[in-house]
Amino acid sequence: MIRGYLILPILGLLLAANGGVFAAAQDSQEEFFEKKIRPVLAEKCFKCHSAEAEKLKGSLQLDHLQHLLEGGDTGPAIVPGKVDESLLIESILYGNEDLQMPPKEKLSDEIVNDFKTWIASGAYWPEEKVPARGEKDESGKFDLQKRFQEHWSWRPVEKPELPSIEKTDWPGNPIDHFILSQIEKAGLAPADEAEKETWLRRVNFDLIGLPPTPDEIEQFRKDKSTDAHAKVVDRLLASPHFGEKWARHWMDLVRYADTYGHEFDYPIPHAHEYRDYLIRAYNQDVPYDLFIKEHIAGDLLDTPRRNSEKHFAESPIGTGFWFFHEATHAPTDVLANEADIMDNQIDVFGKSFLGLTVSCARCHDHKFDAISTADYYAMTAYLQSSARQEVLLDENGIRAKAKSNQEKIKKEADQNLTGLLPAASSPIESETALYEDFRSGEIPAGWSTTGLAFTGTGEKAGIRFDKDDPISVPGTIDSGVYGRKRIGTLRSPTFEITGDRIHILLKANKGTVKLVIDNYQMNSFHQLLFRGSYMKQIETEGGFKWITMTGNLDKYIGHKAYLEFRDDSDGSMTIDQIRFSNGGNAPPLPAERNETPSLQLSEETLTSITEGEKLTQNWPPLRRALAMGKGTPENAHVYIRGSHRSLGDEVPRRFLEALGGEEGDRLNLANQVASSANPLTARVMVNRIWHHLFGRGIVPTVDDFGPMGQPASHPELLDWLASDFVENGWSVKQQIRQIVLSSTYRQSAKSNSSVDPAKLATVDPDNVLLSSMPVRRLTAEAIRDSILSVSGRFDDEMFGNPVPTHRTAFMTGRGARDSGPLDGAGRRSIYGAVYRNFLSPFMLTFDTPSPFGPKGRRNISNVPAQALVLLNDPFVAEQSSLWGKHAVESKEPVPDRIRNMYLSGLGREPSQSELASVETFLTSRGVETEKAWADFAHVLFNTKEFIFLN
Amino acid sequence: MHCGNFIHRPASRRQLLKGCAMGFGGVALKALMAEQANAAIHNPLDPKIPHFVPKAKNVIFLYMDGGPSQVDTFDYKPHLEKYHGQDPRDAIGELAPTQFDNIGKVLKSQWDFKQRGESGNWVSDLFPHLASDDIIDELAFVKSMTSKFSEHTFANYFLHTGSPFQGRPSMGAWLGYGLGTENENLPGFVVLNGGLIPPGGLDCFGSGFLPASYQGSVFLPQDQPIANIKPGEATADLQKEKLDLIRQLDQHALEASDQDPAVEAAIQNYETAFRMQTSVPDLMDLAGESEVVKKMYGLDADFKNTRTFGLQCLLARRLVQRGVRFIELTCPSGNGDRWDQHKNLFDGHTKNCKTVDQPIAALIRDLRILGLLESTLIVFAGEFGRTPFAQGTDGRDHNPFGFTIWMAGGGVKGGACVGETDEWGYKAVKDRYEIHDLHATMLHLLGVEHTKSTFRFSGRDMRLTDVHGHLIEGILS
Repeated sequence: MIRGYLILPILGLLLAANGGVFAAAQDSQEEFFEKKIRPVLAEKCFKCHSAEAEKLKGSLQLDHLQHLLEGGDTGPAIVPGKVDESLLIESILYGNEDLQMPPKEKLSDEIVNDFKTWIASGAYWPEEKVPARGEKDESGKFDLQKRFQEHWSWRPVEKPELPSIEKTDWPGNPIDHFILSQIEKAGLAPADEAEKETWLRRVNFDLIGLPPTPDEIEQFRKDKSTDAHAKVVDRLLASPHFGEKWARHWMDLVRYADTYGHEFDYPIPHAHEYRDYLIRAYNQDVPYDLFIKEHIAGDLLDTPRRNSEKHFAESPIGTGFWFFHEATHAPTDVLANEADIMDNQIDVFGKSFLGLTVSCARCHDHKFDAISTADYYAMTAYLQSSARQEVLLDENGIRAKAKSNQEKIKKEADQNLTGLLPAASSPIESETALYEDFRSGEIPAGWSTTGLAFTGTGEKAGIRFDKDDPISVPGTIDSGVYGRKRIGTLRSPTFEITGDRIHILLKANKGTVKLVIDNYQMNSFHQLLFRGSYMKQIETEGGFKWITMTGNLDKYIGHKAYLEFRDDSDGSMTIDQIRFSNGGNAPPLPAERNETPSLQLSEETLTSITEGEKLTQNWPPLRRALAMGKGTPENAHVYIRGSHRSLGDEVPRRFLEALGGEEGDRLNLANQVASSANPLTARVMVNRIWHHLFGRGIVPTVDDFGPMGQPASHPELLDWLASDFVENGWSVKQQIRQIVLSSTYRQSAKSNSSVDPAKLATVDPDNVLLSSMPVRRLTAEAIRDSILSVSGRFDDEMFGNPVPTHRTAFMTGRGARDSGPLDGAGRRSIYGAVYRNFLSPFMLTFDTPSPFGPKGRRNISNVPAQALVLLNDPFVAEQSSLWGKHAVESKEPVPDRIRNMYLSGLGREPSQSELASVETFLTSRGVETEKAWADFAHVLFNTKEFIFLN
Repeated sequence: MHCGNFIHRPASRRQLLKGCAMGFGGVALKALMAEQANAAIHNPLDPKIPHFVPKAKNVIFLYMDGGPSQVDTFDYKPHLEKYHGQDPRDAIGELAPTQFDNIGKVLKSQWDFKQRGESGNWVSDLFPHLASDDIIDELAFVKSMTSKFSEHTFANYFLHTGSPFQGRPSMGAWLGYGLGTENENLPGFVVLNGGLIPPGGLDCFGSGFLPASYQGSVFLPQDQPIANIKPGEATADLQKEKLDLIRQLDQHALEASDQDPAVEAAIQNYETAFRMQTSVPDLMDLAGESEVVKKMYGLDADFKNTRTFGLQCLLARRLVQRGVRFIELTCPSGNGDRWDQHKNLFDGHTKNCKTVDQPIAALIRDLRILGLLESTLIVFAGEFGRTPFAQGTDGRDHNPFGFTIWMAGGGVKGGACVGETDEWGYKAVKDRYEIHDLHATMLHLLGVEHTKSTFRFSGRDMRLTDVHGHLIEGILS
């Protein structure tokens, strides 16, 4: 009671301060509260927001003023006297889509007004016992340090000693000590060594994704030297097909696709350049730590890795992986769209490199792992501080060399330039606000360029290598100084849109201006809801003009954006200045831009221009790749409960707290991920390699090393491999080499006959201990590629544009492209297009993933659809005919033909009884007909041996 | 390409299931549902024990692609007549952003509404067949459904998978995962495609992170309804001989793999595949259907799309008879771009209704006659509704804030009507439901507790309903 007396005068003061909105005595306040407020709270809210709640929602209790003031996850529920600042009012008004209460039904306007009145008048609550805080499940309470200490994968990698073993003559290398030790502990014994043919087929598919040829089988059989296996492995690791096999595994992680999906399945520009980058990187055995750095920040490396043949910068191409997300046109909420894309990017980043489900912390601290919501939003800060660019792949540096030669010519010619030259624009008096006028004639701080086109024109006019427009205008940024054929992009810093118009004074010939609002990129395909943000084919017919971006810009006032000027063609753009306004028109042209001085150029100058123009002739075709670029550094806000409408604390760009939390730029992030001190990076990668070679990772959940993942079956082996990986310079090939040469990998699929099958079934039913080689089904790619390779249709051409997917009658819908050839032009599956909305049915049947997120471990289904495909699909029928035809054309004796087909298709000789069965089958169908041999080829495609590896 | 997905079930699994039935249910069910690593061996489509006694065994999902207008079909709003032609920003107040942002005037419905049946539920003249006395009282309306997305693709994925993104399991896949199938020779999840694959593509019917065996198989209403079902051989014997040789040669694979169960299952697949080659054409063969039945479904209708959708509905009934768990019907093309009438509302909605009205009424009647209605759940839903104000002059834009869906059949209280939109038919204001609630209710009617049907993926136990979902109690019988 005493407290009640104390409170009353304070309430009185509050009321006075509010101009006496509700100047009433206590009892009428009480009556109002008890009649209008409490019953509503009790009826509509207490089920989830009171001490009685079965499960307290949002940590918010509404059963006492004290709890209301303390609030829940999103902050205090009310601010007495301040209706507009009270979240309770915001939520019952239903204006904020992410905060609508009660969830089932909006309260009537009358009740909403009662609550407004109640809060405006100071939120009276009678004196009463404060109910206890509701039962909160504290077991899952977020304690980063505790979780960090409790989970194994956060601990540093330590190279263990080799365990002791009994059967000391078995190990071929250290790996085998770890495997054998556990086999022996379980009272089991390793399997015998696999037959040579079996191992050869196994290692062929595992390393290059193709079967061995009959000649290779013969050679290996004959090679009795002790290093026969090593020779095979070295040959396969050196094969260009190696990269084609291993790049595909990585593509599963980065959800590689050639299109964006959604309604119209728009193309992802230059996607295949990233695929080719991967193939080259695996073939050259680029150290994995460098490979990671290239992915995260390849655009920021001081000395990028260069292509070994054509010398363009490879490193920036790695960053393309950030942009293989799906994308929609016309999102009604562009910020939500950006948040969803970042979620996907962080998901790929976290799982692929670290085996962490970072994106689980988007809406709340991770439920199980040592990852906070602040950690998640610190990652979004890196993304918000970055831009997207299409980098130039300058083959042999031809374009750059031409430019440096042009610079020399220009320097001299500019000095000799005399006469009435154009001047920079003088300042304009205008209602519009100047954003940038490039007065210095240099690219301003914070602005960036991609490609070699855009350049500042300095403070004095100079020559342009363009006969039709030979003199540059000072105080501009110009994409045509070094010739019309140059392409490139000029990018502004990120700014806030303050009005509905952006006025640009420019001279352009086929130029494009793009306003990238909250990193939304799809306006280059479709402008619905983004009218005015993308202007292409801008043509100012020789002179300078104002163009105005407007349209839907009014929707985006207050949003962040940056401008891109793109010269993607043989024209050019010269940008004089940029102004913002809300309403109103562009100012008149500055006097200097009205007139074009007629200047008589000297013969010498004209010769220099012609000479410089010539340097832009005979260039190889333009190649570009999608990449990340530097943007304007920004901190990010935590989105409370994942909603961009509820901003929480600001977080800088920093790494996960559990891994040090160091602040820095994206390159710093890359270095922290690609570090031997990082406990996850090496472990996750060696585990992936192991997974691809045994069909099961040491940690089976290859993308999840967190507490919800499965534990390691051989933790010491994992750490030994991780240490060894780092010691060997992060060499992927070296890791693969030692694993496939181990005795473990050389085992037969048949378990040791000395082991009691009943015991094996009890002790290790799933063969986790690897006391025999696991039987694995081939991937979709391997199945299709080996069909092509044995039929003779195989085309080993590497790289380049994707082969369009063959479309069946069942593949209809928006965004459908023309059908590609039934046999995919004989190219390896990795070169087949990945159209998100039109994925190849053949590949899907054998479990190629839909590219939505990281998938380090594919499903392995076993369904009749697979039988139907191999039995009835026209592709398989066509390849059977081809193989049959080649068999007949070989004109070998019948048994030799059968033998050869067995060798190429199944990697072994047929038994006598198999030979007899096949001969009977062929005879009944006419042994000299191509059809009979096609039928036999078809049968071989359908044997389980064809699609399984022993 | 989504042919049927069945594997022979080894005898030991049957025994295990019998064990379940006899009382180790909980534990065994968990084992069945949680262990994806064993998918290669165990038949993921074996029938499973539901969490509780189901009201329905099958679902027919009538997907009204593009979003029908609630205020022109079932949600009668006299207010729109009163304010017709006025600026909605004045009449209604602040408007949420729309997909096309081309806000016209308040637009009254061009169709008359009447209360129908004993329930007195409102139906416009667009649905004369559904409005008939013996049908209308079978339907239970939810007039306060909401979605979270204004774009087709997000909203389609959301309606089908409970997530706005590509690559999540569709509701049909979840049901297959939860309940298995009752016909080994047909897929458990069939999409009868009327001609349009909805925006978002086949991922609307995908199995996402669930095993591929659960994905939807798209059937076209044609001789060869699914890919690769027709043997390339001239006669069945010729194929049989091939299969015999395959089986013979496969002995080596079995032996060399130490009788690996996955190899064994792959061999068994050929038996099932062989049977599917007959069961699928048998499904499509309507020779046994009477002329009366065909006529009832509208197979003789003048309007081509009525014939197409009629055939889809008849095939849906035949699939129910064959124990297929989840059947989805998509819309025929050529009605003014599905239900997506951004313009030409009158013409488009007239055609769309003409397409589906008679066949759906026939389907309900037919199932009732055959005694199958009580075990079949029918759901009629679009991915969102449409705005009560015009887009331009003669269209309506997308509206996820309040729209009407209905259900009928097993476990559904015919004649019920729950929820309300505001007086404009714009936003749900009373008993608001969301797509997760629809999913929870569907699973519930099939005997699956939505919070317990989970699959470990990406470090989480994933659910069709994510962390949401409440039963729509008011429509449960």
